[in-house]
Amino acid sequence: MSLNSSSITQADVAPKQPLLRLDAVGKTFGTHVVLEDIDLSLAAGEVVAIIGPSGSGKSTLLRCINQLEPPTTGRVTIGDTTIEAGHTPTRRELMVLRRSIGMVFQSFNLFPHLTVLRNVSLAQERVMGRTREQADAVSMQLLARVGLADKAQQFPSRCSGGQQQRIAIARALALDPQIMLFDEPTSALDPELGLEVLSVMRELAEGGMTMIVVTHEMRFAENVSDRVIIMADGRIVEQGPSGTVMRNPQTERAQRFLHAVKDR
Amino acid sequence: MNDLVDFWLEHLPAMLDGLMVSVQVTGVSLAIGVPLGLLLALAVQSRSKPMRGIAIVVVEVGRGAPALILLQFTYFGLPNAGLSLDSFSSAVIALAWCTGAYTSEIIRAGLEAVPHGQKEAAEAIGLNHLDALRYVILPQALRVSVPALLGFSILMLQASSLCFAIALPELVSQAYLIGSTTFRYMPILVLAGLLYAAICIPATIAVSALERKLGAHA
Amino acid sequence: MTQDMLLTMVSGVPWTIALTAVALLIGVVLGIPLCAMRMSKLVVLRMVANTLILTLRAIPPIVWLFFIFFGLDTGYVSLNPFQAAAIGLGLITAANMAEIYRGAMSAIHSGQSEASMALGLSTYHRFFDVLGPQLFRVALPSAASYAIGLLKDSAIASTIGVHEIAFEASHVSQRTFRGLDVYAVAGLLYILLSLPIAWASRWADLHLRARVAR
Ligand SMILES: Nc1ncnc2c1ncn2[C@@H]1O[C@H](COP(=O)(O)OP(=O)(O)OP(=O)(O)O)[C@@H](O)[C@H]1O
Ligand SMILES: [Mg+2]
Repeated sequence: MSLNSSSITQADVAPKQPLLRLDAVGKTFGTHVVLEDIDLSLAAGEVVAIIGPSGSGKSTLLRCINQLEPPTTGRVTIGDTTIEAGHTPTRRELMVLRRSIGMVFQSFNLFPHLTVLRNVSLAQERVMGRTREQADAVSMQLLARVGLADKAQQFPSRCSGGQQQRIAIARALALDPQIMLFDEPTSALDPELGLEVLSVMRELAEGGMTMIVVTHEMRFAENVSDRVIIMADGRIVEQGPSGTVMRNPQTERAQRFLHAVKDR
Repeated sequence: MNDLVDFWLEHLPAMLDGLMVSVQVTGVSLAIGVPLGLLLALAVQSRSKPMRGIAIVVVEVGRGAPALILLQFTYFGLPNAGLSLDSFSSAVIALAWCTGAYTSEIIRAGLEAVPHGQKEAAEAIGLNHLDALRYVILPQALRVSVPALLGFSILMLQASSLCFAIALPELVSQAYLIGSTTFRYMPILVLAGLLYAAICIPATIAVSALERKLGAHA
Repeated sequence: MTQDMLLTMVSGVPWTIALTAVALLIGVVLGIPLCAMRMSKLVVLRMVANTLILTLRAIPPIVWLFFIFFGLDTGYVSLNPFQAAAIGLGLITAANMAEIYRGAMSAIHSGQSEASMALGLSTYHRFFDVLGPQLFRVALPSAASYAIGLLKDSAIASTIGVHEIAFEASHVSQRTFRGLDVYAVAGLLYILLSLPIAWASRWADLHLRARVAR
């Protein structure tokens, strides 16, 4: 089953210009340099895994991409919208950005006071201007895709962690984003529950969704992603096709990291 | 004993009228004061400096000055500024001010209890600031604040007794009036106390039960 | 506002402080047995304490003050306004302090008490060396904010004629037909008086936090 059949065509037609581009993006908190000089470009349909030691700035990078954390230097371009560091983005620019990018958090962050259905419908109504009926209908389809149509009327607290994360994926998909960002989506889950989330993500990837996945799941990075980026100390230390990087890393820093995690 | 019951029965209607006024003035003050508290809680966190400054002054004076002084200020003071109000309106202004000041702190604590991830998730799905507040943050913050707000409402009913000082015919004024005409202060004050207790004791017990119930869920 | 008016109002300050201090003292002391009763193993004692606390807190202070001042004035006992106010506010404070002590107890009790029992300390030492200082530290912030509340509640004593700030203010206001500035100054006086309590509490909290390991 394909989760996002419309994007298949997008992926087939090789794009002239990347869907997402980061130019020299940097982020400092006070004097603490967390990201430095990050260049990255992402073609439609590409799946990129970001791995690296704790504190290397992976989460911060994702958060800079959708401006949850405004970068201190550099430029983020998505489609034909460019956001320069130092300028507060306009409401419209932010809106374009947030609608183009879906984000899934390590701790799900579902809205506990709303039903599962409402969690998925809310933004469609308030951001896309759909009616309640339209939004609910789309939400039901999305919930069915992640295998949770029967949970629609429940509250998130009544769902397992794996189910909650799948709901969070449905919620992020509800705005028809062009790119999905995942920040360690399975780290808070038991391995078994993690698998059901990973399989949903794998289906998404196979359906042609453009994705950036920060993960500790080395098997997912190697098998599902097209490209792997290894970060350390706020920089990209190595990147390339997943097979090459994972099996035959070139830089000493990447080798050290992969050696440390190879038993996982 | 019979004598006491007769005395109470004779004056009960007047006392109940007084209680009615107490409940009304409390209700109206809360109806205005709690939304005011919400606005103040938001203004205190606002990015605009003048807004923050004004909100902090309103809150600190409302919490720092005795309610009695606020009442006398609005009733005896505002006429000097050309604003003469009847005792009910003065009482509502003073008590709503007091309510706004105290509940802003309660609501602020509720806002702070909402995990940061909720705000981020709301932003990430594209909700604007106002929608995030309205649909995601406030419902959760207010839910946390409910027991404290109810507890405060009980205190407010008690505080309405201070309107005695501005000649509002609420429960204590009625009791005092009856006491001064019959010279039987003790029994009428006991009746006033019983009427307050009849409302406040069950309400207090109910609020702490609710608090325990919500606490157990968290 | 003339200097004379201001001086008259300031003359209420010592009475406000005295009333607050006496009522607080009564409450801090009486709160101890009340709290002990409230936490006693005997159901009867617990119920008596519970009823007392609930009743004292459920009836507005002004009713208690009127009751004690006008109601008890039957010829046998005759209290002056200050005495009546101090007793009334003191009793209400006792009920609130009992609850504050109880909250502090339950905040530190379980773990600490078991630990010191396991160390074989006697009850006396357990209380005074282990629990006491911590209890004091845990209860202090709530007690301080209650004291600030009490300072403001003491204004109610003006209604039975204690010559404290609120009384002098309404006196001046009636004499001069001015309310706006008079009551604004009165409010300011209360706010100024509450500042030292807040500072002292914050200082003591920091000081104790450093000394009593948590
Ligand atoms: N809001 C913030 N203020 C200050 N420092 C921050 C902030 N957010 C992150 N940092 C710092 O930035 C660095 C990178 O954090 P980040 O969360 O991006 O790392 P990460 O690679 O995602 O780590 P992990 O694998 O543990 O999730 C850390 O040193 C962190 O302490
Ligand atoms: Mg992270």
